[in-house]
Amino acid sequence: MLRSVVASRTGTVSVAVLVFVALLAVAGPWLAPHDPLLQDPQAILAGASAEHWLGTDNLGRDVASRLLAGSTLSLVAALEAVAVGLVLGVVPALLSVHLGRAVEWLSLRLMEALVTLPFLVFAVAMTALLGNGLQQAMLAVGVLVAPGFYRVTRAAALPVATAQYVEAAVLAGASPWTVLRRHVWPKVVPAVAVSTASLLGASLVIVSSLTFLGIGITPPTPTWGGMLATDLQYLFQRPFGPFVPAVLIVATVWACNGIADALRDAPALSAERKVAAHVG
Amino acid sequence: MSADAAVPALLTVRDLSVHTADTTLVSGVDLSVARGGALGIVGESGSGKSLTCRSVLGILPAGLRGGDDTAITFDGTDLRGLDDRGWLGVRGTRIGAVFQDPASYLNPSIAVGRQLAEVLRVRVGLGRRAARDRALALLADMGLRDPALVYRQYPFELSGGMLQRVLIAVAISAEPDLLIADEATTALDVTVQAEVLDLLADLRERTGLALVLVSHDLAVVAQVCDEVVVMRDGTVVERGAAADVLNAPTHPYTRSLVDAHARYGIERFRLQEANHG
Amino acid sequence: MAEPLLEVSGLVVRLGRGRERRSILHGVDLTVGAGESVGLIGETGSGKTTLARTVVGLHRAERGTLRVAGTDVTALRGARLRAFRRSGVVQYVFQDPLRSLDPDLTLGDSVGFGITDPGDRVADALLAVGLDPALAARRPGEVSGGQRQRAAIARAMIARPRLLICDEPVSALDAATRVQVLDLLSGLCAEHGIGLLYISHDLGSVAGITDRLVVLHHGDVVETGTTEQVVTAPCHPYTRLLIGSAPTVDGGGMGRAERAELRAQLAHAPNGKVLT
Repeated sequence: MLRSVVASRTGTVSVAVLVFVALLAVAGPWLAPHDPLLQDPQAILAGASAEHWLGTDNLGRDVASRLLAGSTLSLVAALEAVAVGLVLGVVPALLSVHLGRAVEWLSLRLMEALVTLPFLVFAVAMTALLGNGLQQAMLAVGVLVAPGFYRVTRAAALPVATAQYVEAAVLAGASPWTVLRRHVWPKVVPAVAVSTASLLGASLVIVSSLTFLGIGITPPTPTWGGMLATDLQYLFQRPFGPFVPAVLIVATVWACNGIADALRDAPALSAERKVAAHVG
Repeated sequence: MSADAAVPALLTVRDLSVHTADTTLVSGVDLSVARGGALGIVGESGSGKSLTCRSVLGILPAGLRGGDDTAITFDGTDLRGLDDRGWLGVRGTRIGAVFQDPASYLNPSIAVGRQLAEVLRVRVGLGRRAARDRALALLADMGLRDPALVYRQYPFELSGGMLQRVLIAVAISAEPDLLIADEATTALDVTVQAEVLDLLADLRERTGLALVLVSHDLAVVAQVCDEVVVMRDGTVVERGAAADVLNAPTHPYTRSLVDAHARYGIERFRLQEANHG
Repeated sequence: MAEPLLEVSGLVVRLGRGRERRSILHGVDLTVGAGESVGLIGETGSGKTTLARTVVGLHRAERGTLRVAGTDVTALRGARLRAFRRSGVVQYVFQDPLRSLDPDLTLGDSVGFGITDPGDRVADALLAVGLDPALAARRPGEVSGGQRQRAAIARAMIARPRLLICDEPVSALDAATRVQVLDLLSGLCAEHGIGLLYISHDLGSVAGITDRLVVLHHGDVVETGTTEQVVTAPCHPYTRLLIGSAPTVDGGGMGRAERAELRAQLAHAPNGKVLT
């Protein structure tokens, strides 16, 4: 699957960007030249220097170190949200196709209800209810991206469930579990992979929006969205300040979408290949 | 073929070929249909039988072109030389056509009778009232039991056999001299197929309509046609009077088609009887 | 004669939900003996496919009995039904192998499904249907239509069935390939003494492969008899029309006038089952 993504130029660049951001996130604590929370009253809103590569913020904290620490938090949070969405979306979708009409009806109505919820308002309400923490906020985001996974999985699984080759397998004595593993799952995976990539980007935007608003995170903890918010307040003193977190957010989201596109167009996964194979 | 000299053929095709940019799909096809005659073209998918029909109708799919040496003459007119205006006076008026999937040739949201009446007004120039009466008469001619009801019905309300009859009514509405039926009965049930074939044979008898019947099934063609052409891989492999082709096929492919019927079809019992008796 | 392999009696099947629910089969009787080949013929809406699917449990019978090799299959549910299916007593060959074989699985995987020691058995099964075992590595889209249907037959044969149900197994194939697959089917059934229920609308392929015919019309059996009897001396007007409508190459078919008469007769039949 990776090979087919790298085959396109957008795919290659996207993978490179994500690998770079992932390295920042993983190696952040070791790469950081300073403690991201350490305040230096002597150097408030300083420009770039050998000591502080990207300058300091309004409390004299090293911006580079805060960005590195923020990368870890922002990415992990987005991944967490997507993981929650995957479980809450894919599993009910597969069950809705295979467990009969009652489950189908219930899960469809539930997902429709979720789709009607406004993203940010729901996340704010969740953190108000469960406490203002990143875990709670990400749980909320996960619940909100679940319908996306649900729809994509169901769309891929539904034609398979009624396919004649599944009937043939059932007649050979296959259990529902075998049918799922052998026939349904391989057709669902490509679609889910595309959604995972694009919803990862979407989740990152939501994480950034929430932390920008101060939801899910308490002040000293650095995140990309939170830093963007503070930097914007000191635009006159450090005009370039907001650009660094903003560029990181945009590049990462773009890379996620790039990978999603490459996955979707990958010849090994696209529907055209199957159709062509049938005709030939 | 000696009859050709005495009675000029209605449709003559000489050295028909169809090409894509780099390959030849059909080549060297010669056909001739006498006025009131019935020619059958037999072949499996990819044999070039449908492309042959489409060449005659001047409706080759995009990207395909007819060969430079191909000559198609219909009742003295060179069809290859026709422009779009010229075709208007031939296609649909002098040569009718029906295809495999009748539903796709009708507008699903207009009652079939109105569609037929519209064709009559445009092609024949009948008035509103006259077109309606003629449409009802045509539907009755097609063996539809309640023409007034069918006239008001929408395509989805009609069975495949009824739709194909409506399409035949549309195709012969302008009283053409030739009807081309390309796999027109393939999607139908056996008894319905026989009804449609019987209808075509009746029409031919009553109106002197000439037929080109295209099918993958040799037996279908044999039931209606006097002359048969067997095609394979874009060329004609066997031709002759229907009875001769069936009784003494020369090409191995034709022989295998006849043999299939003799071994697995209902003919096997009749053939056995003939052998015993 | 010993107990028949397949015994269907008084079978009633209704399909659809709520107000759409319609009766498809109204009391059908049918038997297939061991090693016997029975043709089930009928047209669209006759219920022939519904009957076949009910026999293998893809539809539920509302009334009637259904015994396969002495087992009452209508009583089987869940794990017991799966165990019965895994025993391989009944196998089903669908019309279009392009749909009945998973496009993403190799032919070898599809044929060898559920077989404990697939290795040689898959190769043997492919050889038995006249396929090169090397084709096991190909996917359905990468072989010809005839090869695909042979693979589907191999999948049925590898389970060593006693009853084989074929639903229009050759109607998706070209005329030349058709005969080869029919030869293969009749050869396999004769060789292994398999009972065959052959379902088709196409009399051109039924007559040569079946010993007996059962004619189904709008959910009722209208005629049964040996194939020769039904073909040469049909009794019911519908059977007469069906046989008389089959295109033949010997010019010995029914005349147009006689067909028209039969149609009129059937159109005015008391049960109002019009053919058009």
